[in-house]
Amino acid sequence: MAKKELLPPGLAYLADNITSKHNLLGARKGDGSKWAKGLDLPREAETVFFAGCGYQYSSELESLMSLSRRMDKGGVADMAMGLAGFQKKIGIDAVGIFRRATAKSEHDDSDVLRDAVRVLKKLGFNFGYLGEDEPCCGGLLHYIGLQEEFKKHAQEVDRQLKSKNVKQVIGIIPSCTYSLRNLLAKAVGGDGFEVKHFTQVVAEKLPSLSLHYPKQVKVTYHDPCQLVRYLGIAEEPRRILKAIQGVELVEPERTSGEWATCCGGGGGFEAVFPEMSEILASNRAKELSDTGAGIIVTQCPGCIMQLKTGLKANKAENVEVLDLAQVVARAMGE
Amino acid sequence: MSVFSEYKKEIMDAAHNDRIRIALARAIKSYRGNVNEAMKRFPHSIKMAEEVRQIKADAISNMDKLAQQACEAIEYNKGKAYIAKTAADAIAIVDKLVGTGKLIVKGKSMTCDEIELREHLEQKGNEVYETDLGEFIIQKLHSRPMHILSPAVHVPKEDVAELFSKITGEKLPPEDISRLVATAKKLLREKFFEAQIGITGSNVVAADTGTLFLIENEGNIRLATGAPPVHIAVVGMEKLVPSLGDAYKVAEVTWRYANYTVPSYVSLISGPSKTGDIEKVTTYGAHGPSEFHVIFLDDGRTELAKDPVLRQALYCLRCGGCLYECPVFAVTAGHFGDKYFAGCGMVWADKISGKPEKAAAMAYTCLTCGRCKVRCPVQIDTPAMCIELRRQLVEG
Repeated sequence: MAKKELLPPGLAYLADNITSKHNLLGARKGDGSKWAKGLDLPREAETVFFAGCGYQYSSELESLMSLSRRMDKGGVADMAMGLAGFQKKIGIDAVGIFRRATAKSEHDDSDVLRDAVRVLKKLGFNFGYLGEDEPCCGGLLHYIGLQEEFKKHAQEVDRQLKSKNVKQVIGIIPSCTYSLRNLLAKAVGGDGFEVKHFTQVVAEKLPSLSLHYPKQVKVTYHDPCQLVRYLGIAEEPRRILKAIQGVELVEPERTSGEWATCCGGGGGFEAVFPEMSEILASNRAKELSDTGAGIIVTQCPGCIMQLKTGLKANKAENVEVLDLAQVVARAMGE
Repeated sequence: MSVFSEYKKEIMDAAHNDRIRIALARAIKSYRGNVNEAMKRFPHSIKMAEEVRQIKADAISNMDKLAQQACEAIEYNKGKAYIAKTAADAIAIVDKLVGTGKLIVKGKSMTCDEIELREHLEQKGNEVYETDLGEFIIQKLHSRPMHILSPAVHVPKEDVAELFSKITGEKLPPEDISRLVATAKKLLREKFFEAQIGITGSNVVAADTGTLFLIENEGNIRLATGAPPVHIAVVGMEKLVPSLGDAYKVAEVTWRYANYTVPSYVSLISGPSKTGDIEKVTTYGAHGPSEFHVIFLDDGRTELAKDPVLRQALYCLRCGGCLYECPVFAVTAGHFGDKYFAGCGMVWADKISGKPEKAAAMAYTCLTCGRCKVRCPVQIDTPAMCIELRRQLVEG
């Protein structure tokens, strides 16, 4: 049978964005790198900060998901098909239109990126950012089964990073970090790059930081699947949180660390089952807010979007969802 | 409607069904409590599970040979053994043994479900009673199993009470679970002794002695394999391991991860009943069955074993632990499934049942979150299987 038909259209749409537009959301080249304006990050360096599609296009992603959910609930027989059709009808800047049409959150999630950069600078790291030349890691292609396309894309990513003389990468998004660290080398061969996650490099230099949160807060931590079960990072974020004065860490019963429940946004799931994904988000948000925490700390744009959606569904919007980078930045003061 | 749309509708209906969610939430809570308790009391289980992973990995590479060996051993024990290449072959063998107009008591068996044996036998004019309580509830509800060990995991007690009240004409309160259990016992008791045939599966089989291990708590398997004059077992070839010693380990790890410190019963069956008590002359057919038939089912398993990634689906012990860790399963139960559920289920749908559209729909339902892998006693890498299956399905 014509095998490509087995790929759900929502995923085909995202895959097409990666292969034709080099970013997950099909946004214009350069849109993603605006967050770094004024930060004076070199465009070429041995060590680069890899921002990733998820945070660079977080508001687009959020708008896209909220639209998908509305269509899915509205009984559009195949949401993803509807989405693809919708996009075709209104042209390539569909995402931009969604974004303008829906309310934009007060805190742009590109704050996460600026905060992460601030933290890394404070720790004395020398690093650059590739800006609009930063490629999409292409991980989604691998996950949805388009291995041939992933391989092609990975070669391109590899070539691009090498052309910029990149030796080390600091990732902030768990799935990009895993892609660059594990999938890339496997697809391309060779030694690959030295890839670390933000949390790892911060944890290594933790003793040099003096961290005070502006107020007394109870926080809980949500382990992103890729960070805890793919990259094996569970201890470092907890060590960092515990080092912040004013922060009390409370954990959900059983479902933390390697037993953490997925937020419902894994492996492209939210693009195929937007409504179900909201149900799972609500379930996970409840496990976390049941701890009594006022802040849920996590480290993935997908998880953040999901948990906010879940809290909203649970009418528990008084609970804040933050990336660990934001929490550390706040705790560093000026 | 396409296979995908139909499936999506089914799982979304399930996700909006509060009763499924209530039943699952109760089951997950109790599973987690029990399994922690079982592990605390028998901490050696974790190391033993590693050993079992290796036993299974080796056995899956040798299923052909082990099936041959088991057949010889069973024949030596004066049982009859068969290797069925396909589901149709297995059904033909059972047909020949059963015929029509029989009363049959059945133990719970996923392999029988896989080949839709009960439906087939009923169609042939036999009366078939599921004797596992969960399976009995499912049969009476005309539903289908929603978990590999607890087929009625999605049915809350209120629904069971309503069902049994309808059958008996008595008003049965849902709070009185022991009365519900007693009702099932009463309804089934005489069937065990009237039945001409008992049909079961098996959890693990020792090839060297031809011994079937059947793990249970209810006692229905003891009766179904003991009371009727004929016992037929339908067993997937992936259940074979080389020796009795291996089988003990597989059995213990299976029930431990299925949340039991120890099950009430483990039946070890190697042949028909016999006695030598009169002049030491071995005579077959004493209190237990005089006929013992074992059908080993291939139906794509030896082919699947050749796939370096997807073969892991054959390592599955069917403890069901992964299902309690799956966030999707928690709201959909076995609707996220075909013959088997979730991770291994999607591989089964494609490679055993030959349903690529259904397999794809299931594969794209997986979050690839990997918590199932953390739970799995034999470390089946479900995310890796899922991604590889997606690749095979869309790239061919």
